Amino acid sequence: MRMADRGARRTHRRRVAGVAWHLTLSVVTLTMIFPVLWGVLTSFKPTNEIYSLSPFSASPTLEHYAHAISDWPVGQLIGNTFVMAAGVALGQLAIAILGAFALAFFAPSARGLILTLLTISLAIPPQALIIPQFLLTAKLGWLNSDLGLIVPQLGASALAVLLLLQHVDALPPSLLNAARLDGTRPREVLWSIVLPALRPAIAAVTILVFITTWNEYLWPLLVAPRQIDTTVQIGLRQFETAEGTNFGGLLAAATLTSLPILVVYLVASRRITDAFLQSGIK
Amino acid sequence: MTSNTIAGDIQLVGLTKKYGSSIALDAIDLHIPAGSLTVIVGPSGCGKSTLLRVISGLETATDGELLIGGLPVADHDAGDRDVAMVFQDYALYPHMTVAANLSFGLRLQARHDRRGGPSKFDIAERVAQVGDLLGLEKLLDRKPAQLSGGQRQRVALGRAIIRRPQVLLLDEPLSALDSQLRASARGEILRLHREIGATLVLVTHDQHEALSMATHLVVMDSGTVAQSGTAETLFHSPATEFVATFVGSPAMNLQASGGGRVGWRAGDARLLGADAAGTAAPDGLLVTGITEMCEFTGNGQQVSVRDGDRNFALAQREGERWLRVGDPVRAVIAPHQLHHFDQNGIRRNV
Repeated sequence: MRMADRGARRTHRRRVAGVAWHLTLSVVTLTMIFPVLWGVLTSFKPTNEIYSLSPFSASPTLEHYAHAISDWPVGQLIGNTFVMAAGVALGQLAIAILGAFALAFFAPSARGLILTLLTISLAIPPQALIIPQFLLTAKLGWLNSDLGLIVPQLGASALAVLLLLQHVDALPPSLLNAARLDGTRPREVLWSIVLPALRPAIAAVTILVFITTWNEYLWPLLVAPRQIDTTVQIGLRQFETAEGTNFGGLLAAATLTSLPILVVYLVASRRITDAFLQSGIK
Repeated sequence: MTSNTIAGDIQLVGLTKKYGSSIALDAIDLHIPAGSLTVIVGPSGCGKSTLLRVISGLETATDGELLIGGLPVADHDAGDRDVAMVFQDYALYPHMTVAANLSFGLRLQARHDRRGGPSKFDIAERVAQVGDLLGLEKLLDRKPAQLSGGQRQRVALGRAIIRRPQVLLLDEPLSALDSQLRASARGEILRLHREIGATLVLVTHDQHEALSMATHLVVMDSGTVAQSGTAETLFHSPATEFVATFVGSPAMNLQASGGGRVGWRAGDARLLGADAAGTAAPDGLLVTGITEMCEFTGNGQQVSVRDGDRNFALAQREGERWLRVGDPVRAVIAPHQLHHFDQNGIRRNV
């Protein structure tokens, strides 16, 4: 009887804790969603109602969208951003796959040293390197070009290498040994055994790098300031003029340019969650 | 050293493997006869798996010579030694079907050597043959994850033999199977050995498995070969105390005797009648004690007898006198069934 009582009390306490936890999560989530939601809603308000505190307008309008699409090179900017994000993602992936495989398979004597250097490089703030990187890029004549946007960002591949290395190291050694006894050359081990086994990890790293690069602000701002060559994040500044900020246009453009990333999320939300959880990044 | 150029013959001369300062294999001299089913057995950490990996080429010997089929292979990479291996965890390629797992090595051969390598037709035929030999015909399109433990093991065996290697190495191939499957897998390996005619080298820590399968048995102890020969030889005339206690179950009984030790097998002791207490014992070693524990083994009884502060084991067969806990025991072991060892544990023939 007493036992049952205690059991019931414990279940009760657990249920209360569960409710409290979910309440907290809901509050945090709402706090995070609110600005985005307000932005999207505001983009449908006519200009004279932009500062109104009512979430919905009595006369919703698409004028800001029309304005953004006609006066703002939305396709061009999304295209530029996509080329940059995809180029950086694929480039980092190539470096990470080859680097992780070489470190795991050939186990060079400097493996420990290389891993230490890679880890240290993660701790260097990118802002500390930005001036020499910019000068180098300028000397190479890569300003306002895809090369300038992509190549210097490949220098930050350490995280991708370390993430993939974990997965290569986690492969059972007997698998690689079996391949050796089957007469594989290293290239074939990589291609026929390691890559197929790593497919989920590779997808995760690709998405992770793609999204991070899509949201990159400082580097495109420096290297490709010209409106026609730049990325979405920089292009949005065009709505801040001397006469003040055109919030309707800005929010409509921001909503439009979030759509591609939203599509990526919808298609691969599971993979993205895994990727971020694995990398330990928020 | 006699050089032997028969395919499948393995000769190890002074083979040494060190990891830093620890010695895994200590100057091993060993001949593994062509076509034998050689079982290497020993406690964990004795170097038996390392020996297998050195023969396969996955590890390089620190010193010494290794000849396979009469040829020194130290400079040959693992894939070029005409040696195949079955791994403890089978190591099947998880993303390939059974057929692709089986044919992987052959497909690589074809790609590396477009003229001399096997044709597509050859490969398909060999896959069908091996599938037939191991009863995998219906599983060829499955992935490893869809197979049972026993099926996976047969695929691993098939992948190893499809290139028709001189030597087939098996690293604890039965340890991942449950005891019922183990018996049938043992039969499968024996049958395979008969049919493919390659040299099989099998590593195990299970002395029962070793005794029952080996045509040639090698007992290893801390990086050295303690003894090698037929299972009968090792069982009936163990070269050292270590071999004596490791091979056979229950372990050989040992007791101090004249500076060294004397040993005897549980089954070799003959019980004397309880009423014979006063009569002179027949020739041989007389042991006495009180029955402490009895285990029923189906066709017999395994008995632990306490004599002062030490124990010894007896094995009673069906039809012999059955012992019960508390029974006094007087038994005698005939002189020719006693094993004498000197103070270093080396066999002494008297």
